Amino acid sequence: MSGGYQYVVAAYAVIWFLLLAYVVVLGARTARIGRQVEAISRMLDRRERTGGDEDGA
Amino acid sequence: MRRRQLMALVRKDLRLELRTRETIVAMALFAIVVLAILQFGFGTRDDDLTRFVGGLMWVTLAFTAVLGVGRSYVAEREQRVLDGLLVSPVPRTVMMSAKAIAIFLYMTLVEVLVIPLVGIFFVKGPYWESIGWIAIAALLANLCIALSGTLFSGLALFTRARDLILPVLFLPALVPVVIAAAGATHAVAGGPHDMSEWRGYCLFLLAYAILFALVSVATYDAVFDD
Amino acid sequence: MTPSSTTDSTTRIPGERAAVVWGIIATVLVVTSTIGVFLVAPEDADQGVIQRIFYFHVAIALASLVAFAVACVAGILYLRTRNDRWDDVGEASIRIGLLFSVLVVLTGSIWAKASWGTWWVWSDPRLVTYLIVVLIYAAYFVLRSSAEDDRRMRYSAIYAIAGFASVPLSFYSVRVAESFVHPVVFTTSGANMPDSMLIWFVVSLAAMLALFIALLEVDLVGRRSERALRRLALRLENA
Repeated sequence: MSGGYQYVVAAYAVIWFLLLAYVVVLGARTARIGRQVEAISRMLDRRERTGGDEDGA
Repeated sequence: MRRRQLMALVRKDLRLELRTRETIVAMALFAIVVLAILQFGFGTRDDDLTRFVGGLMWVTLAFTAVLGVGRSYVAEREQRVLDGLLVSPVPRTVMMSAKAIAIFLYMTLVEVLVIPLVGIFFVKGPYWESIGWIAIAALLANLCIALSGTLFSGLALFTRARDLILPVLFLPALVPVVIAAAGATHAVAGGPHDMSEWRGYCLFLLAYAILFALVSVATYDAVFDD
Repeated sequence: MTPSSTTDSTTRIPGERAAVVWGIIATVLVVTSTIGVFLVAPEDADQGVIQRIFYFHVAIALASLVAFAVACVAGILYLRTRNDRWDDVGEASIRIGLLFSVLVVLTGSIWAKASWGTWWVWSDPRLVTYLIVVLIYAAYFVLRSSAEDDRRMRYSAIYAIAGFASVPLSFYSVRVAESFVHPVVFTTSGANMPDSMLIWFVVSLAAMLALFIALLEVDLVGRRSERALRRLALRLENA
């Protein structure tokens, strides 16, 4: 009985799509964290180059 | 000691209100306006809205409750009474009980007006015989409103946009109360008289009240933990 | 489910391993259950193909209840211990629970359209209840955005507890109302389900629960990292 089959597919498609979207959002946040890590390590590099003895970490 | 504190706080609240009469009048007026709007919205289409009496009554009262609960702390804030109270050694649960009692009384007073008005506006069948049952259900619903309203208005109190936050927090939690209270009213006034239905809804309202009383008592201290 | 708390010298964030493990488990279960539901589970005699929607619809609903329960417990624990971690757990759980609840409403609506021709019915208690649930927990985020720091966490904890109390109340009020209006209530899976169907319900439920845990772990790892980074940036600025 294929009457209504498109509804079942639609329901599961909606579920998968929204879950995927959520995972993408999580991934974006991870990327942002990665960028912050980059920025901080660059800050540290600059700190080391421009003068030695300040107590850093 | 506790009971005296409680009575003193309640008397303070009521005295403030009765002296200014702001909140009660505002609530009553608001309820009448909502009823009138509903009358215009629905009544022009159909003269006999008996079937919907439960919903019409409790939609009106739910919004009126939000208004009343939202106001219940305003008087104190404006008069800096709240700070004085917080410094005093009054346990928070006593404060909460006083608030809840005040809200309960406000709602009851407004309903003395609203319940007859609903009968006049919307019901073309037997209504006045069942008014006792309607009143009992209303009192139970008021208990629910008082208990949950005190909690949510406490949460909304110190937040930005307090007046917008309260409806957003309070109304979804009121939905079960509206469903049950409207159902109970409908069971005795909206069509064939069904006491077992009324009883079922009233028991539910009791359960709601007990549950929210427990939650409030358990968490109310944390609301004012400043 | 609780992540390891040892600070690993190989610079692994605590909880990272748990997140990866649960992610794999969840993926496997979700794929398995999807295939099973579509290809293996037997067709329902009464409703036909449309009944297959319920496997995930019910599983997601139950998983969201678990999420809200976790948030309620996290709220209680936050109020007891005032440890920020519990606020993290609570917020993440409610975010996932809210997402799941929206999915319940959407899939329920699709089912309604398939069964009755309209996008909404009042005769399915679960659908109606979850609309209320969505409203309750969407308000959680409104509350959070209007308070800061300590107050935000305290109020969120209290609301998570009160909200979780509202859920069964909402469910039962709708159920009681339905029982008076439509005496023959339940349109969904009944008590007498053949084992061949039941097993796919169980697999779907396991999939959704694993998904919740995986998403929660990932969220917590992310938050922990963000917090560590903020502390680090602060120290660098002040040094």
